[in-house]
Amino acid sequence: MIFVAILIGCIIGAILGINAPVIPYTYSGYLAISIVAALDSVFGGITSVLNGKFDLKIFVSGFFGNAILSILLTYLGERLNVDIYLAAIVVFVGRMFTNLGIIRRYYIDKWTDKLKEKSMNKEETKKE
Amino acid sequence: MKKGKKIMIVTIGLICFLLTYVMCMQFKVIEETNITEIENLRETELTEKLATWKEKYEETNIKLQEAKQKIEEYRQKRESNQETSDLLDNELSQARRIAGKDDVKGNGIIITLKDNPDEVEGIISQEDLVELINELKLAGAEAISINDNRIVNMSDIVYTDCIMVNTKRVVSPYIIKVIGNQKYIESALTTKTVGYIDKHRSKGKDITIEKQNNIRILKYDGELKLDYIKVKEEQ
Repeated sequence: MIFVAILIGCIIGAILGINAPVIPYTYSGYLAISIVAALDSVFGGITSVLNGKFDLKIFVSGFFGNAILSILLTYLGERLNVDIYLAAIVVFVGRMFTNLGIIRRYYIDKWTDKLKEKSMNKEETKKE
Repeated sequence: MKKGKKIMIVTIGLICFLLTYVMCMQFKVIEETNITEIENLRETELTEKLATWKEKYEETNIKLQEAKQKIEEYRQKRESNQETSDLLDNELSQARRIAGKDDVKGNGIIITLKDNPDEVEGIISQEDLVELINELKLAGAEAISINDNRIVNMSDIVYTDCIMVNTKRVVSPYIIKVIGNQKYIESALTTKTVGYIDKHRSKGKDITIEKQNNIRILKYDGELKLDYIKVKEEQ
């Protein structure tokens, strides 16, 4: 059920996004940083699901909050003539990698457990 | 519990929708701006380029100014050339008029000499014509013709079997057209008793004199050839 929702959301988003009006290039920088922030919170959400600590409120607030905050920080950096967005990208992408690492380790552990179980089962059947 | 799950599904779907929407938008923007490279450049690069272009602009502007100055110079030169050529044209046309190579027009006098066969000395001789021409020249005539034969510096008035002007036969009546100061010419010819007209009328020749405006005198139709004279070179 939840995967269907994700799929439908993605498809509709892609279709509408392709047909969306082109925004000026100067604003696309803000959009890019907000995308990175949103992706970070998505991976964070997936990790928390795997850890069994997923909370919708935290996920949604993180999704929007991070995006808006990163946009504001980028704007501030532009005003101050400091590339703050670089710091935001470093933080977000770093977190994305750690989250991805956790996800990867979780699934590899699961897979190896399964393989072990299978081999154990085979040995048991052979013994019998 | 079920309600909470529904809300979760909807929110996650919405979030996925938002994320992909924004991402696709961004992809599109980046793709389109790649086509026009200038917009893709960072601001610093743009300012650098702007500076170089400004420099180039200034350089070309200086060049433009130089070229304009040159054009101005050439124009002035050409104008002075125009002046000299105008001057030459004027001189040429004046020389042609003096040489009698052009038809001319002006105010002057027409003198008609007719043979009078009743009197002994009533026939007009070529000497009479020469004398008249000399008198006219003295009185400042600028152009003279006898029966439409223009008198120029090389003209001849001779008698062979008849009177020849410019090696062409002329017969009575001799119509002499003169362009010049009418007053001077008239007074020069009509002086009492010693003037040309009185002197010759007394011999019985038929002479009339008439002032006329806009007399037309034809050009000298012969060839003006100089084979032997050379301009003496200045030392």
